[in-house]
Amino acid sequence: MLSNIRWDALSQYFPLFLKGIVTTVEITVISVLIGVILGLFAGMGRLSVHWYARLVPNLYVGFFRGTPLFVQILLIHFAVLPAIFGKTPPAMVSGIVALSLNAGAYIAEIFRAGIQSIDRGQMEAARSLGMSQGQAMFNIILPQAVRRMLPPLGNEAIMLLKDSSLLAAISLPEVTYYAKLMAGKTYLAWEPYLTIALMYLVLTLVLARLVKFLERKYGTV
Amino acid sequence: MITVRNLHKSFGQLEVLKGVDCEIREGEVVCVIGPSGSGKSTFLRCLNRLEEITSGEVSVFGTNIADPKVNLNLIRTEVGMVFQRFNLFPHMSVLDNITLAPGKVRKVDKESAKKQALELLRKVGLSDKAHAFPNQLSGGQQQRVAIARALAMNPKVLLFDEPTSALDPEMVGEVLDVMKALAKEGMTMVVVTHEMGFAREVGDRVLFMDQGYIMEEGKPEQLFGNPQNERTQNFLSKVL
Repeated sequence: MLSNIRWDALSQYFPLFLKGIVTTVEITVISVLIGVILGLFAGMGRLSVHWYARLVPNLYVGFFRGTPLFVQILLIHFAVLPAIFGKTPPAMVSGIVALSLNAGAYIAEIFRAGIQSIDRGQMEAARSLGMSQGQAMFNIILPQAVRRMLPPLGNEAIMLLKDSSLLAAISLPEVTYYAKLMAGKTYLAWEPYLTIALMYLVLTLVLARLVKFLERKYGTV
Repeated sequence: MITVRNLHKSFGQLEVLKGVDCEIREGEVVCVIGPSGSGKSTFLRCLNRLEEITSGEVSVFGTNIADPKVNLNLIRTEVGMVFQRFNLFPHMSVLDNITLAPGKVRKVDKESAKKQALELLRKVGLSDKAHAFPNQLSGGQQQRVAIARALAMNPKVLLFDEPTSALDPEMVGEVLDVMKALAKEGMTMVVVTHEMGFAREVGDRVLFMDQGYIMEEGKPEQLFGNPQNERTQNFLSKVL
């Protein structure tokens, strides 16, 4: 089988795959960063004692966890953003918006669990020293919570990296898009798809190692 | 300094404090004793409103902190608290534990906060632990750091919530010694404790709580030597 591989076709398209994988990584990194910010606010909102502060985050998390990412991407690219801007936005914009919103919903739950896992006495000690709720949250609770959140955050980043392949459906030129392009033009299947599968695998393994390293460096308090 | 009038506190259906009245005067060491579930910790935690007050009045330095509009953070800078489980911040060094609140809340500059922290560590006998982390310390050492942390805000009164109950027996003494030294310096202290020896020796006044009421109060020699209330007699006969 290996002897049947069309190395010539593969080497012709490989530079495009490299270009695509860079886009994949870019989109993943940007979406994780925006997702963390969204998740922080949504997660804290869901912990609020006030129902009106919980309302929007609850709807947000409920929707984005309860519907398929693929549908969210289509909805945002072909319906929501065109309705706001009057025309179909660049795929890159839709892609980042969709992945960030989706990641934010899951990261909100990671933040919520992380914050709730910190002993109540920590908040009480901080408040008893005269710190405000916000000061206690940012100086005492979150630094401890984030350490415990590293493993699930790493998981989320890995999921996002893989799920970014769905963006090929809106012709965002990430690596899966180029693989489909090659498959369409050459009628080959093994060559493009196995190659990018291995590329994803390498990236997720590297990411998993990175998370392990961070855990060892900052984890366990 | 602190005046409590008809303080009630309920957790849902359960009424834990059923009308507590008392007065804490400047420079006094008041020990609160009583069986578990008597409401003594809840009473203490109402004094800086770590527990929401159901009804009644808790006046701290003339401000009724039961009032929802009161600036609690400001009051709490003057009311230090030491917890049963220490509650040190595990992600910070001993020094940072002590300097954090003065820096963030009182806006003390780094250098003077550090100087004061080292002074306080010397006072609690832990000068060599400034750069240690809480999990590297014994329980007794952690509790002494917690006392130093509370003192760093220069509070006018210190609340102790069973400060030695989570300690191994051999470490109780070192913590009580620090508290005795504070009492001697004239610090106003409210101490919920099971250490009858401490209450008797250091307390200016002892409150006996049971079933959500202060059943009896008096000077230690009087309350321990000649208790009037039947429940006090009963309790003391079991613990002494």
